[in-house]
Amino acid sequence: MGLTGRKSEKGPVCWRRRVKSEYMRLRQLKRFRRADEVKSMFSSNRQKILERTDILNQEWKLRRIQPTSKMHIGFSEFSRQVIPLKTLNAVASVPVMYSWSPLQQNFMVEDETVLHNIPYMGDEILDQDGTFIEELIKNYDGKVHGDRECGFINDEIFVELVNALNQYSDNEEDDEEEDQHDCKFEKMDLCDGKDDAEDSHKDQLNSESLNNDGSKKFPSDKIFEAISSMFPDKGSTEELKEKYKELTEQQLPGALPPECTPNIDGPNAKSVQREQSLHSFHTLFCRRCFKYDCFLHPFHATPNTYKRKNIENLVDGKPCGIYCYMYMDGMVREYPAGVIAERAKTPSKRTVSRRRGRLPNSNSRPSTPTVNTETKDTDSDREGGADGNDCNDNDDDKKDETTSSSEANSRCQTPVKLKLSSEPPENVDWSGAEASLFRVLIGTYYDNFCAIARLIGTKTCRQVYEFRVKESSIIARAPAVDENTPQRKKKRKHRLWATHCRKIQLKKDGSSNHVYNYQPCDHPRQPCDSSCPCVTAQNFCEKFCQCSSECQNRFPGCRCKAQCNTKQCPCYLAVRECDPDLCLTCGAADHWDSKNVSCKNCSIQRGAKKHLLLAPSDVAGWGIFIKEPVQKNEFISEYCGEIISQDEADRRGKVYDKYMCSFLFNLNNDFVVDATRKGNKIRFANHSVNPNCYAKVMMVNGDHRIGIFAKRAIQTGEELFFDYRYSQADALKYVGIEREMEIP
Amino acid sequence: MAPQKYSAQVMNCKKPKMEQLQADHELFLQAFEKPTQIYRFLRTRNLIAPILLHRTLNFMSHRNSRTNAKSLTSHLQLTFTGFFHKNDKPCQNSENDQNSVSLEVLLVKVCHKKRKDVSCPIKQVPTGKKQVPLNPNFSQTKSGAFPSLLVSSNEFEPSNSHMVKSYSLLFRVSHTGKRDPNGFINCETDENIDVKEELPSRKKRNSSHRGDGEIPETFVAQMTVFDKNRRLQLLDGEYEVSMQQIEDCPVSKKRATWETILDGKRLPPFETFSQGPTLQFTLRWTGDSSDPSMAPVAKPLSTRTLSELHLLVRKQTMAKDSVSTSMQTRREQSPCEPRQKLRIFYQFLYNNNTRQQTEARDDLHCPWCTLNCRKLYSLLKHLKLSHSRFIFNYVPHPKGARIDVSINECYDGSYVGNPQDIHSQPGFAFSRNGPVKRTAVTHILVCRPKRFKPSLSEFLESEDGEPEQQRTYVSGHNRLYFHSDSCMPLRPQEMEVDSEDERDPEWLREKTTTQIEEFTDVNEGEKEVMKLWNLHVMKNGFISDNQMTQASMLFVENCGPYIIRRNLCRNFLLHLVNLHDFNLVTTATIDRAMVRMKEIEESLPELEEGQDSSDATCNGHAVSSGVSLHGKRTKSGVSD
Repeated sequence: MGLTGRKSEKGPVCWRRRVKSEYMRLRQLKRFRRADEVKSMFSSNRQKILERTDILNQEWKLRRIQPTSKMHIGFSEFSRQVIPLKTLNAVASVPVMYSWSPLQQNFMVEDETVLHNIPYMGDEILDQDGTFIEELIKNYDGKVHGDRECGFINDEIFVELVNALNQYSDNEEDDEEEDQHDCKFEKMDLCDGKDDAEDSHKDQLNSESLNNDGSKKFPSDKIFEAISSMFPDKGSTEELKEKYKELTEQQLPGALPPECTPNIDGPNAKSVQREQSLHSFHTLFCRRCFKYDCFLHPFHATPNTYKRKNIENLVDGKPCGIYCYMYMDGMVREYPAGVIAERAKTPSKRTVSRRRGRLPNSNSRPSTPTVNTETKDTDSDREGGADGNDCNDNDDDKKDETTSSSEANSRCQTPVKLKLSSEPPENVDWSGAEASLFRVLIGTYYDNFCAIARLIGTKTCRQVYEFRVKESSIIARAPAVDENTPQRKKKRKHRLWATHCRKIQLKKDGSSNHVYNYQPCDHPRQPCDSSCPCVTAQNFCEKFCQCSSECQNRFPGCRCKAQCNTKQCPCYLAVRECDPDLCLTCGAADHWDSKNVSCKNCSIQRGAKKHLLLAPSDVAGWGIFIKEPVQKNEFISEYCGEIISQDEADRRGKVYDKYMCSFLFNLNNDFVVDATRKGNKIRFANHSVNPNCYAKVMMVNGDHRIGIFAKRAIQTGEELFFDYRYSQADALKYVGIEREMEIP
Repeated sequence: MAPQKYSAQVMNCKKPKMEQLQADHELFLQAFEKPTQIYRFLRTRNLIAPILLHRTLNFMSHRNSRTNAKSLTSHLQLTFTGFFHKNDKPCQNSENDQNSVSLEVLLVKVCHKKRKDVSCPIKQVPTGKKQVPLNPNFSQTKSGAFPSLLVSSNEFEPSNSHMVKSYSLLFRVSHTGKRDPNGFINCETDENIDVKEELPSRKKRNSSHRGDGEIPETFVAQMTVFDKNRRLQLLDGEYEVSMQQIEDCPVSKKRATWETILDGKRLPPFETFSQGPTLQFTLRWTGDSSDPSMAPVAKPLSTRTLSELHLLVRKQTMAKDSVSTSMQTRREQSPCEPRQKLRIFYQFLYNNNTRQQTEARDDLHCPWCTLNCRKLYSLLKHLKLSHSRFIFNYVPHPKGARIDVSINECYDGSYVGNPQDIHSQPGFAFSRNGPVKRTAVTHILVCRPKRFKPSLSEFLESEDGEPEQQRTYVSGHNRLYFHSDSCMPLRPQEMEVDSEDERDPEWLREKTTTQIEEFTDVNEGEKEVMKLWNLHVMKNGFISDNQMTQASMLFVENCGPYIIRRNLCRNFLLHLVNLHDFNLVTTATIDRAMVRMKEIEESLPELEEGQDSSDATCNGHAVSSGVSLHGKRTKSGVSD
């Protein structure tokens, strides 16, 4: 391509070439960086291994090795040399084991949309069945990890690419040669270190945005046009432009991501609403695992809709001291009346406050102007285009507060007769953190100002009270006791339950093959009838459901006083483990720290597994052996692994079938447990048609889990087997050995 | 034994049956030859390099002759009655009255000559020193007061370095008594006479006089215990040995001359005993009297006496069992206890149980490893446990016992020993250089295993076929186990801990922290508390709502100081409120937890400056994480 050609066409073709070259450069840079990362990881790993081998070597030195004899080596022309001869005995080789990670609880993973590696199973297999790999790739829609890298572009590269190309447009008039030179210089610079480069980009960006905010040249449309034509799947020119804008805006110095509440313990803590303070906690907490961002449940219900079970004594009857707010004029007398009035008003108030707060797990957000900005924050990627010309986050907050205060003004008729005391309120400074904390606590403690003051620590209850008067409008009210559902008589309830239970049991027996995954139901103000997902899936409602605890579909637990290991126990009958929050008499809720629980139906949840030992199997490959003898029907271990969808299991199973080694285990209609990558020792149990163990899928506190139990009394040191085919949940879909035998 | 037996049988058979017998013999060989060879080999190896001592086995406890510490094994006991030296008599009355001499007894081992050696290597093992009364008056001394020496019979065992040709005792008496300056030494003797048998050439004598009186005199004598044919020369009895005097500083060999003193006059052989110097002692072989077979004479070295006995016994049995002589093995027969007159018939079952041959033995030696079990119960037990390639069934027999031997079809060669021994390198136990230290394991023995009284009935063929079931084996683990993470062999001391089954494996802990760290819209303080809490829950495995109060309080105890130091108290309070919002704790719990937190804070040393700096890092980090925002997770993404 001649120089003239390049000069003549400054149009889109040239830009496209630039895009391509810049893109390639950035990709390469990334690869180098990645390689460096890998190298450093490797060396650090290597270091770890060396440390461990050192320990082993030390130990070996202490042990007595068989006495050494001397080895004499002598040639006529050299002096005789003597070295000690160490005899190393032959070591028997062990079966092949692919690496896996230990796990004691199931771990949910997402579907893999990209084939991560093309499995190698020896040349013979490939020769025999050449189409296998092709079919495999077809399963993943032709997507293979690392393949077609040029089509891959993520946000980070996108921004870098635009920035790099921006230089061209800046120097559009300049000579091409210089441009080239610049580029080279830039390249060298980048090669030196990624951080430098990025910083320079940022600095450049920042300085530009600071100096000439208005006049700052936004990257020319040409750039986006070119990128869009290079990567058509990434959206139109306009979309790319918007995206770029969004992505760069956030890089302003000191700015936090919009959803991020400032650290309440930090110096930058801001005065924010209760929901905002608790947003992270509310959204990430898993009510079923008691963990934040747990490994098992991808969907977490937020507490907003949970009803308070017990209305705690909201107000301490007694003043907390002589300076207590209760001694302020008029307080003691008038307060109770206020509470009642407040409660009467509750429902309408609550809806207001809820609307104002964030509803993190609902996509249908109210479109009132106040909340609009938040919508943008959360789903900036998708909905960013809608309200493009928005102001930045700080403004949001301000607006938020102004609106709230205006709202407060408009709702002046506060139910509590909050008297401003005759003494003028001291003018105290409330820091952002204190104000936020106050709002959080008032939602929990309501008008117990003494307690709130105690927890805040830096303010007296009088000050808290005065602040509360100021803030009166935005505060959640104490919830009213739900009068609508009168308590039923216990006995009656139980009889109802018994009939219901029988009904459900019958239903289950009829179509026992289909067990569906449990998902807590959430249909406010509707009873759990035929429309409830739990009912349709033939699952009981659990304590995690949003329905009332009086729900007909709830499992009430057992009232056994025995061991819960016969069908007398309703839990056992329903193939459920006893729920420590429901079954309070059988002992499932006692003796947390000891293994001596009277209830024998809570072993999986407590992880009361037996000690298993790994050794080469008498049958094939590795096997698992029991250390202590067990009795019939005793729990041995949970079969743990990754929880994958049925589709994913189909895809993975194709590969496992080829390997003739599968750790897949059907959990229910929706999910499969795969112990290939993650699992526990029981994964080494082999298949047998005459096994000594059996598998049982049980409902354990809302999760289906697989328990392995002894089919008969098992002696010390016996190898464990279970029948892969006939476990209760109609078992494995892919069983290497068995399948192979069935084919002919 | 099979071929021998066969040949024995053939003699008795007539010609027409020869071919049939031949076939039968083939079948017999097919079945029993291989295992027998294997057990023969093992027997030989066990003799050379024992890997176990039979006497330590519970059912062989009678083979353990050790009854108490005093009589460990058998010994050669020497009790010295006195040293007689007539010439010294005048000296006895002198002021430095010395009525005892010091005696040193040495065991001289003359070893076989190796090719390079010029002379036979000699080893001297000191066995002890004693003060022996000089010219004692027997009326005075009681027999119990005499000094005595014990020489362990172990000394006469062949040692591994040299093959010992002969053993002899060397007595050396040193006498420091004053000498008559004029008297000359006349302790010259003819060694060929005073020591019963021929003595090795230790007969140097020197006639040179010593002027000074305080010179110690040394007298030596040597007696052979075992000669080079390994025959015992010294039987129990009283001995008087004539001693010869030697010079303390021996003259060099070159100058040593052979000459007779005493004017060239030769003393008659028994003259010396009247003259002295002589050493009187009694010799006794002691040992476990109940177990004569354990005496040194019986085991390592066959003695004259015992071989005679052997012959005797043999004649007896021949005479008695003349009927069954044809069936008798011609194996070397060891002496058995005379009272044990049990006859044992071995019946070999092979070829679908149709053919059998019987062989009778009179003793309780194991036919495969010639181990003398000495009791029928022990024999059966030994056969069952040590020769598992066969199946043995005991059938009572009027004359003794019949043992049915058949091939164990189920024998698979799998290891049935202690799994802890597999771990140490294979073959290590068979080291040629003596016992090897095994892997050290600490076992707490809670109780004695219940042992049934030894009864022959346990060997009877039982109907249910599983008599072993009732016995509780100490351990059913007969294989080498491996770590599931590293595939390294599990060492015996690691058996007890379930190492790879922790609730929160390292990778999972790391995973949860990185996963939380990845959030871009969660601030640093929240992240810290969430991580702490997650690790806390994972470690303790909380499973129910009921536990949350307890979990929160435990969290305060464990992580309280850290939370205070990192200045995360308000975030922690938010976390508690969150638990409350989910209906997991009550406000009372929040109050209690925060009060406890305050207490902890007060008990902690002040860390004002530290707090400030950690604040800074907290917020600084949030900013820097904002840069690498793209492609990371957001909490809203999680919940949608």
